[in-house]
Amino acid sequence: MKNRRRFFFRLGAIALLVAIAACMMVIGRGHTVYIDNKSLEYEGETYAPYYRATVYVNGERVSKLQPKERASATNIGQSFSMTLELIKEKGGETETVDIAIKLPYSMDGIIVNIPGYMAGLPQDAWMSEFVSTPTAAEMQDEEIPTEEEDVLAGAEF
Amino acid sequence: MKKDNKIFTFLRDNSVPIMFVIICAVCIPVSGFSYSYLLNEIVTRMGRNIFLILALLIPIMSGMGLNFGMTLGAMAGEIALILVSDWQIWGIPGVVLAMILSIPISILLGAFCGKILNMAKGREMITSYIISFFMNGIYQLVVLYMMGSIIPIKHFSVKLPRGYGIRNTVSLLNMRQCLDNLLAVRVGGVKIPVLTFMIIGVLCVFIVWFRKTKLGQDMRAVGQDMNVARDAGINVERTRIISIVMSTVLAGFGMVIYLQNMGNIATYSSHSQIGMFCIAALLVGGASVDKASIGNVFLGVILFHTMFIVAPKAGAQITGDSMIGEYFRVFVSYAVITVALIMYETKKRKHKSAAAQQLQAAQNEEAAK
Repeated sequence: MKNRRRFFFRLGAIALLVAIAACMMVIGRGHTVYIDNKSLEYEGETYAPYYRATVYVNGERVSKLQPKERASATNIGQSFSMTLELIKEKGGETETVDIAIKLPYSMDGIIVNIPGYMAGLPQDAWMSEFVSTPTAAEMQDEEIPTEEEDVLAGAEF
Repeated sequence: MKKDNKIFTFLRDNSVPIMFVIICAVCIPVSGFSYSYLLNEIVTRMGRNIFLILALLIPIMSGMGLNFGMTLGAMAGEIALILVSDWQIWGIPGVVLAMILSIPISILLGAFCGKILNMAKGREMITSYIISFFMNGIYQLVVLYMMGSIIPIKHFSVKLPRGYGIRNTVSLLNMRQCLDNLLAVRVGGVKIPVLTFMIIGVLCVFIVWFRKTKLGQDMRAVGQDMNVARDAGINVERTRIISIVMSTVLAGFGMVIYLQNMGNIATYSSHSQIGMFCIAALLVGGASVDKASIGNVFLGVILFHTMFIVAPKAGAQITGDSMIGEYFRVFVSYAVITVALIMYETKKRKHKSAAAQQLQAAQNEEAAK
């Protein structure tokens, strides 16, 4: 009886830890969102960039974008919201838009095209994956330190 | 006369902390650091290290001495953080996930270490020290050859350009100081990482509570005398394994807290000296091989890290070469461990000879009758 109770207690503890870990994997997934103010070609039509687009994330101004410019913001979780202050043409009126986007779990870097989004195009038109290419420095082989070189390894302790 | 004896006993029992207070008292003014800077650094290092050092208390309680095998837990924490970093889990969820992932690895390594230590009773410290070297080899095999080839690693920022193995440094920028900054309070320019201290507080309460539980009492009994404990019906081997497993798991958590504060993992060296420095800090706080308390941990961290902060600058001021200070603090770390081990051995032999003398006297008395 006691053994069975212990077994179920252990099983419960493991299940709880697995559940917490699964939760953390979902709510803690980090993404870098790249916000583009670039022209977009879709089904033969061109969507022009805004004269000026100011991006706010969590109440903080991330960037003031001119045409052909890109801003980036980091986000934890799959819900991303930002506020855009858009000016279509020089001297035009400022339009303020609150945007909430569901980010795909599998993508690390996500490009959001503002003109495409504002035109109401389908998601695959204005959202794409950002694939970073490693720099030459990043592609250089590293030397793995050996124990002997580690005399002062704890200096940062 | 009695008062003199008391003072002598106090000085003898607290010789290491007193020595460090003197070193710090000399080095602080020489270093020229402002008190607010020093305080800030010490508070940061307290948050970073105390959890790791607290992990050493349980094996001491069960008579297994200073657990050099805590490096195994540190390795588990590092492996978990490498995986979390590759999966791009950021912030506090990343820290929590790394802690959870480190548990099975720590349990496995701790149980292995405990089993071996049971085969080497009375030589636990040197055995655990050598186990940590052995495990370092396995760790390097896993991290250098299996990660990326057998264990999937996706990101090139984590993986070596050749396609397998982990880079020398893995960035934890997206979870850097996330525990320390949440609920942090600034008092007179000093940042106090309240959440980290709360976690440390919970562990302290747990240790105090654990000592009073049946298992805690068993550990203390095993620590005092294994044979008596066995006669009392305690499963000595199992109790010792549990204490090492607990220490390894806590060391894994501690390493995650330590590395989130640092903001990066030195993949091949972060863990290598961690056991040594944690043990040195604990001993500086006045602990010994067979007795340590939470108070020793706090005092040790404050004194040891004050020395760690001021020694290079003081060395540079005195000799014109900061490396002297760097070497000095490393030398002191090893020296304090050596002194503690010598003191422990001397004390043990003294007790043994006193017991033998008592026995001899009793036998003589018996023979005289």
